Amino acid sequence: MAQQKTQVADVDRSLYDFVKSEKGYERYADGLTPDIVRAISAKKDEPQWMLDMRLEALEVFHDKQMAPNWGPSIAGLDMDHISTYVSPKTKQAKDWNDVPKDIKDTFERLGIPQAERESLAGVGAQYDSEIVYHNMREEVAKYGVVYTTIEDALHDPKWEPVVHEYFGKLIPMRDHKFAALHYAVWSGGSFVYVPAGVTVEYPLQSYFRLNAQGAGQFEHTLIIVEPGANLHFIEGCSAPKYYEANLHAGAVELYVKDGARLRYSTIENWSKNMYNLNTKRAKVGKDAQMEWVSGSFGSHVSYLYPTTILQGDRSSCEFTGITFAGATQDLDTGCKVILNGADTTASVETKSISKDGGINTFRSSVVVGPKAQNARCTVSCQSLMLDNISRSDTIPAMDVRNPTASVGHEATIGRISDDTILYLMSRGCSEAEARTMVVNGFANPVSKELPLEYAVEMNNLIKLEMEGAIG
Amino acid sequence: MATNEAQATQATVTLERVNTPPAQTWNYLRANDITLTVPNLSRKGDVYFALPQLFDRIQTGMGPKVTQWVTSQAADSTYVEVPAHTVRTQPIVVDIDAQKGQVADTGVMVREGATATVVVIAHGNSDTDVASAALTRIVAEANTHVHLYEFVAVGQHHTHLESVGIDADDDAVLDVRQFLLGGSTSAVGFAAALSGDNARIDLKTRYLARGNETLDINHVVRQLGKKTRAEIHESGVLDGSAHKSLRATIDLVHGAKGSKGNEAENVLVCGENVVNKTVPVILCDEDDVQGNHGATIGSVGPDQIHYLEDRGLSFDEIEDLYVRAIFDDAVIQSPTVDARHAVLARAEEVLGAEIADDLLAGLDIEEQLLDQSDSAKEA
Repeated sequence: MAQQKTQVADVDRSLYDFVKSEKGYERYADGLTPDIVRAISAKKDEPQWMLDMRLEALEVFHDKQMAPNWGPSIAGLDMDHISTYVSPKTKQAKDWNDVPKDIKDTFERLGIPQAERESLAGVGAQYDSEIVYHNMREEVAKYGVVYTTIEDALHDPKWEPVVHEYFGKLIPMRDHKFAALHYAVWSGGSFVYVPAGVTVEYPLQSYFRLNAQGAGQFEHTLIIVEPGANLHFIEGCSAPKYYEANLHAGAVELYVKDGARLRYSTIENWSKNMYNLNTKRAKVGKDAQMEWVSGSFGSHVSYLYPTTILQGDRSSCEFTGITFAGATQDLDTGCKVILNGADTTASVETKSISKDGGINTFRSSVVVGPKAQNARCTVSCQSLMLDNISRSDTIPAMDVRNPTASVGHEATIGRISDDTILYLMSRGCSEAEARTMVVNGFANPVSKELPLEYAVEMNNLIKLEMEGAIG
Repeated sequence: MATNEAQATQATVTLERVNTPPAQTWNYLRANDITLTVPNLSRKGDVYFALPQLFDRIQTGMGPKVTQWVTSQAADSTYVEVPAHTVRTQPIVVDIDAQKGQVADTGVMVREGATATVVVIAHGNSDTDVASAALTRIVAEANTHVHLYEFVAVGQHHTHLESVGIDADDDAVLDVRQFLLGGSTSAVGFAAALSGDNARIDLKTRYLARGNETLDINHVVRQLGKKTRAEIHESGVLDGSAHKSLRATIDLVHGAKGSKGNEAENVLVCGENVVNKTVPVILCDEDDVQGNHGATIGSVGPDQIHYLEDRGLSFDEIEDLYVRAIFDDAVIQSPTVDARHAVLARAEEVLGAEIADDLLAGLDIEEQLLDQSDSAKEA
């Protein structure tokens, strides 16, 4: 009798799991002190206001306590064993040929230069704490689009006041403990400015690679999309696996002005020793659209809840997300939507897959303010359990303060039903094919929203593996 | 049952962060719990009857702080045992006169194969701020059928705490109806552990909060046995500046193979200043299960309004129609005369005497009520 054993494979990490030597790199001492913060600021030759902000944030970080009733444990994260600044000895390049060979090799293996050639308007590549490559097509630049690092923007008299005006305003340092940490030691990231009425035809992409062991990455992304403009921004991240905790505490601040549209796509594929405590927030103006596409595959522990503030009347938000938690992973992900404007609409659709003891927690909050006349919001969350040692929780919250608002929520948790498999097998599929079909169908609403190369990557990440035996 | 008639002059105690669910959301949403200030009678030196220790193991909806407070305030606990393989026709009634600030601690043991009805009624209205409480813990052994009715029909100056905990063994069936009809602050916690295989619960809650009332609900159904079933449905109307929080948790525990849990809430928001918070949670530690939840929050649709206005109803009358439907349901389902009286008294306060009378007349149950009253007196 033929016996088949089927299983959904874990995320294939071989593509990302390679380490380059840190020899010759500049690495600050582990831990957090005012001297380290001053040293980071001095290295970047920052304006005084930024140093003051860093030092204030450091105090807030030390003062602020984590809520005792919150999410997965981060007890394994010891800031005394994290270096907050590691940098390769290289300058930022505009040509991949000017990037040191081992770093260039890293990004080649990740497919970044190829993607840039084929389908991107610009690329920023961060290696540990610093951007090592940054470039944008000239035809995009000539429309006045700015895509640079925060550090370079701070040194440009034209953009320094803009950074000063927007930096740290949407995500205040007192937001939570790791927001404060971010502002104390941030390094790298992107500054994007799209002038009014400009549509950037191809996406911009930033890729963040953390190669160093026992280190943190704290990049800051600030994007301003002026009225009527249109941008697609892609963010990717990965790291090799170590047996020592790494930390990612980035911040993303997105300003989508009246009538503008921003799509922000992320494939997060950190290694399984990573604490991913990232904060993302968008403020959306009148008649503007914010779209999030989010895939979370890596990390040991994640706290990730992109927030959208629909401030302007008739503004809208779509959030599409998928989370895959395998062995040793405890991923606490979701999103928050605040509907303040009249006739605002929000749609949230998420999927999660748990296997091999992985833990998925989906959290959402929908807050409808008193002035949000006729606001509409729907949240849909589906979770798939692939074995009986994993776990999946959904914790949505709704706070509605306007009688004309309409809010709907639905969630389901379950496994692939035997009936479904039986039905597909009765139509000629093998059990493995049937399971593959169901899992692909489950993930399809998310993968179809991703750029093609990311959709392919995601499908590779969640692949179904068959082992057959006769006997 | 203790009566705290002179509460105003007594010491108070603050029960911080009670009525909490097993898994919590962001603290800044202030939807995880409620903090209550309640009277604190000193019973130092008193000796009073406590429930058998096995009731201490039962998880209650409002949590251990409230359990501890109630047991310290209720001079005597009431223990009722329903013998195995019997059908108890007389309901077990916990009657709380909120005007007197009564606090009750009740334990019910339903032995194997027995059927019982438990009715918890909190009623009364006065102009002074009073706090009352009912703590009810039930053990439902294998093959039992337990009907639990809860009526919270206290006035707008009352704070009422209602905490229930049930443990259900193999094939036990729990049929629970909650009617939460008012109170300055009503905090209602309900926890059921479906410990045995094939145990099931059908929990239906209807609520009304209006004016400046606060309604805080915590539902927790923990499915531990195999092939357990949970059906939870909440629906309600919020008016004025009412503030409602509902936390509903289905916990599919590891080993609960073949279990299914469904939870759904429908909220009709009528008042301009209503605050409605809903946290519907599914916790799942088992793959061979199904968990679903849904929530719909909205106002009366324009089509419905037009339809009813075409038939001569004003907007206020349309909203009253939805409120009346809750009282209709409560009256129909009241299993005792006292429960009906409590519902009708509350209906009179909310909808007026005419509609309250009409509730009875329209449902043609007046005679039946009298009959039951008579038979109760005879008994």
